[in-house]
Amino acid sequence: MSLRVLNPNAEVLNKSAALHMNINAAKGLQDVLKTNLGPKGTIKMLVGGAGDIKLTKDGNTLLKEMQIQNPTAIMIARTAVAQDDISGDGTTSTVIFIGELMKQSERCIDEGMHPRVLVDGFEIAKRATLQFLEKFKTPVVMGDEPDKEILKMVARTTLRTKLYESLADQLTDIVVNAVLCIRKPEEAIDLFMVELMHMRHKFDVDTRLVEGLVLDHGSRHPDMKRRAENCYILTCNVSLEYEKSEVNAGFFYSNAEQREAMVAAERRQVDEKVRRIIELKNKVCSGNDNNFVVINQKGIDPPSLDLLARAGIIALRRAKRRNMERLVLACGGEAVNSVDDLTPGCLGWAGLVYEHVLGEEKYTFVENVKNPHSCTILIKGPNDHTIAQIKDAVRDGLRAVKNTIEDEAVVLGAGAFEVAARQYLVNEVKKTVEGRAQLGVEAFADALLVVPKTLAENAGLDTQDVIIALKGEHDRGNIVGLNQHSGDPIDPLMEGIFDNYSVKRQIINSGPVIASQLLLVDEVIRAGRNMRKPT
Amino acid sequence: MREIVTVQVGGFANFIGSHFWNFQDELLGLASDPNNDPVFRNQCLNMDVLYRTGETQQGVLTYTPRLLSVGFQGSLGSMSSRGLLYNESSPGPSDVVTWSGSVSTHASAPRKKNLFLQRLYEEEQESFSMINGTSSGKSDSQREIQDKDIVEFLDNHVEFWTDFSKVHYHPQSLYELGGLWMDPQEFDNYGIGKDAFSEGFRGEEICERLRFFVEESDHIQGFQFVVDDSGGFSAVAADLLENIADEYANTPVLLFAVRSPSSQMNLRSRKQTIFRELHDTVSFSRLASFGKLIVPVGLPFLNESKASTLLCIENEKPYHCSAVYAAALHSATLPYRMEPVGPTADSFDVFGAVDINGFVQMLAGQARQNTVAILDAAMPAPALNGKQHEQSLLGNLQPLTPEVSEDVEDLQAVESMIIHGALRSDGQRASISEVKETVNAIYGHAITRPMFCHLSVARCPLPIPLPYPSMFGNLVGQYGELLNSPFVGSSPRGSLEVHSIPMAVRLRSSSAILPFLENRLGNLRRYGLQRGALGAELLRNWGFADDELYDMGEMLSKMVSTMKPHSEISSDSD
Repeated sequence: MSLRVLNPNAEVLNKSAALHMNINAAKGLQDVLKTNLGPKGTIKMLVGGAGDIKLTKDGNTLLKEMQIQNPTAIMIARTAVAQDDISGDGTTSTVIFIGELMKQSERCIDEGMHPRVLVDGFEIAKRATLQFLEKFKTPVVMGDEPDKEILKMVARTTLRTKLYESLADQLTDIVVNAVLCIRKPEEAIDLFMVELMHMRHKFDVDTRLVEGLVLDHGSRHPDMKRRAENCYILTCNVSLEYEKSEVNAGFFYSNAEQREAMVAAERRQVDEKVRRIIELKNKVCSGNDNNFVVINQKGIDPPSLDLLARAGIIALRRAKRRNMERLVLACGGEAVNSVDDLTPGCLGWAGLVYEHVLGEEKYTFVENVKNPHSCTILIKGPNDHTIAQIKDAVRDGLRAVKNTIEDEAVVLGAGAFEVAARQYLVNEVKKTVEGRAQLGVEAFADALLVVPKTLAENAGLDTQDVIIALKGEHDRGNIVGLNQHSGDPIDPLMEGIFDNYSVKRQIINSGPVIASQLLLVDEVIRAGRNMRKPT
Repeated sequence: MREIVTVQVGGFANFIGSHFWNFQDELLGLASDPNNDPVFRNQCLNMDVLYRTGETQQGVLTYTPRLLSVGFQGSLGSMSSRGLLYNESSPGPSDVVTWSGSVSTHASAPRKKNLFLQRLYEEEQESFSMINGTSSGKSDSQREIQDKDIVEFLDNHVEFWTDFSKVHYHPQSLYELGGLWMDPQEFDNYGIGKDAFSEGFRGEEICERLRFFVEESDHIQGFQFVVDDSGGFSAVAADLLENIADEYANTPVLLFAVRSPSSQMNLRSRKQTIFRELHDTVSFSRLASFGKLIVPVGLPFLNESKASTLLCIENEKPYHCSAVYAAALHSATLPYRMEPVGPTADSFDVFGAVDINGFVQMLAGQARQNTVAILDAAMPAPALNGKQHEQSLLGNLQPLTPEVSEDVEDLQAVESMIIHGALRSDGQRASISEVKETVNAIYGHAITRPMFCHLSVARCPLPIPLPYPSMFGNLVGQYGELLNSPFVGSSPRGSLEVHSIPMAVRLRSSSAILPFLENRLGNLRRYGLQRGALGAELLRNWGFADDELYDMGEMLSKMVSTMKPHSEISSDSD
């Protein structure tokens, strides 16, 4: 081999060895993630060397936690992670689909087929499947008032694969309401407008939706009220702390009095800003018992806090940048960048503002707002890993709802789509294909079945029985999925099991691409930078 | 009180940080022990500047560093990323409350606590049981783990920075870049780290944690930022700094760009050399554009340098090298932690307090606006008086900053010198005024004098905590005094033999930094900017467009020209 002449240290794997390396890596990764899939999958508890615990049922998280060394596996993992970035779900499905494609190919290649032909077949099958998906999907009309039931069904399907049923059902309502809360007609949904706040407190079932905002800090003055009703909310980005001027003040005074005078003068500027805020408060709050809350992105130092407290104002400093946006969406009004812009018009409104203290952690609830366009999902749990897992699940749920609204379509779940697509490929597409590429189409079709197969396997059912039953029903023209409890075919429509259209499409799109690339590798060369470390 | 938030990014920065916080912890311990040398009890250092007071959910009060540390996943060794203070009861397998289906557990082999950490744990348990009135009555001699063994063990077996840390950290403090397991050899250039910050929720989570510490500070005086700039972490740090500059615009950042000697060795091919030099250039100019004052620290051959003539250091051990830099960092940061006294009153214990802003203005804000400072250290500092020693203080102050020219006459140099725990030649602690007089006298006699020198003095020396490496030469005595005749026996002396040492460090803004800057500018021009330059492709891969590189070159050449003695004449030579 010519490379050996150039670099005697290079390690070369020839054609079949290279292929088998890739296939084995894909199968290995599939084996790891397989048990995750579906509502009967296994949750993984990862315990680190120092005893840190991580709970996950999410393929994406698991892939990140594994130190993957094999280059092929890394490639597959990247595709899967990209899948998550794009559509928020389907990582596990992508990995097991790629693994299954490789497994099916291995069989054909062992029988003497050339990978090129297989890949051609994949390409045809992929296009046909995508077309089929267009026909198969269930369109959902998203008017001004989206069908809440269908959104709930999608969210429930996702959440039930991550959390136990009753908690999943509880969260279903939460995530759907959250997305509908932030949804504005004619605008893309920005999920960042749903704040995820967590408290290590009580139990997972205490997780709730706060229509309004929860901030993870409180006022820093002992005299400020801990609870206030009927509040004006001033959202601002104005520094209320005494900052040394940029020029070194050291050269401008020659004795202690002058220095004091300079400090006093600079202090006055800060006080002036505080005074302007107090003025506004007096203007809007005189003659009624409304309260006034300042939420500032910049700092507020103790003297300023003191002035504000004396004026009966509640003040929070160093709010998250994103909360500035959220506050305005939740409470109304607008964010103010300078005290010169202060008008009653820029104030927001909240019916209730109160503080909750847990040890050194303080939370401020801004609730009872009118017509909110931002909200908070407050996740509670007894320990960090529980919270982290619920958080992951909530993120997935939110994405699922968002996808549904944007796709304006859903796909029947529980393996129904995969079986239907497989039957379509085998019964109709295959006939139209000439020559050996037929085998590629067939391999692709069989690989699709990995989803219902794995679902059945994880539920402890007999895979063959299940697949035969499902195929039979489909041939009779009934679109059915798998009942995970009994193993019988069910109608996903009746059970309300729906998957995201965009997720499915992404899986069908990216899986064969990676599989084809891996199949067409005919030499693996290990040389260059990595040669330093003998493996 | 003016708070400081410390940020440590990267492996070696965390090693330094670990030693740094050990010093602080030791000082805290010594201050509360009434049997100790009074000099430790009246440190006049305000620890609240660096530490925060907190409370666990159980209502136990805590006192932890106001620190954010960023490292690889798995770089914490046997320490939990949440620390031990705020721990909930240890969870069992039945604890999976969110899933009713099957659970599979994948446990990596638990990392065993090393001798030192075991001992810490035991001591903690003991003091806990003492409070409960059931003293187990173990005296020092009965203790199973001897100090000697610990010192020896640490000297040979330190793998993670947590292995020798005796400090409790807040759960928000230790951040691991999730999913970034890579070993440092592969994470060794700017390009690899360029997306490490923005990927997933990482950047947001880091900023959130930083905000946690800033929000609770009444009046933050600045950030003390230590970054390991030898690899991809400089990109992480640059992104973080950009965020800080954005969010906390008027808060000064004092930036220490550190690197270990081992990261600068093993360059075999020419390609690797170009790689490295471009990395150095890029990472320096990116970091320098965000810090108000940047101090590059880290010599390529620490053990052969003049700064370590009294020390025995092994270059390959980050545990050793970081100890030297941590000591210098501790001393250099003393002025903004000193208990402020009235403008007229003088304290017997400290002198020359100045806050970060003042510090930065003094060194970087003068006429030349030079933002790069050199760190010099004398470790341990020589005795003060006695005629023959007069030059030795200045002579012993040797740079820890690489690529610095020696013997430069710079009339516009600005310095901040910090001396603490200085001894007289008779072995007694010198008073503040004695130190001041001596330094005045030294500069009075010196041939080259800086334009301006700010002096900070403290009486409290640098305490040597137990987990400090054995790296003092045999000329160093128990209190850090320099002996005339060496101790018999060749083995280096460690924390059991040396209790404390006097330190002198100096930060200077001087044209001695020119070679450092010129090398970087030269490399950028040679490998990046020139037509058909060898590294142009590489820089593009790292995500730098041509005009960005051009700006970078502009910035560097401006830095160089401000430092050139004749810059006024040929200011527009470009």
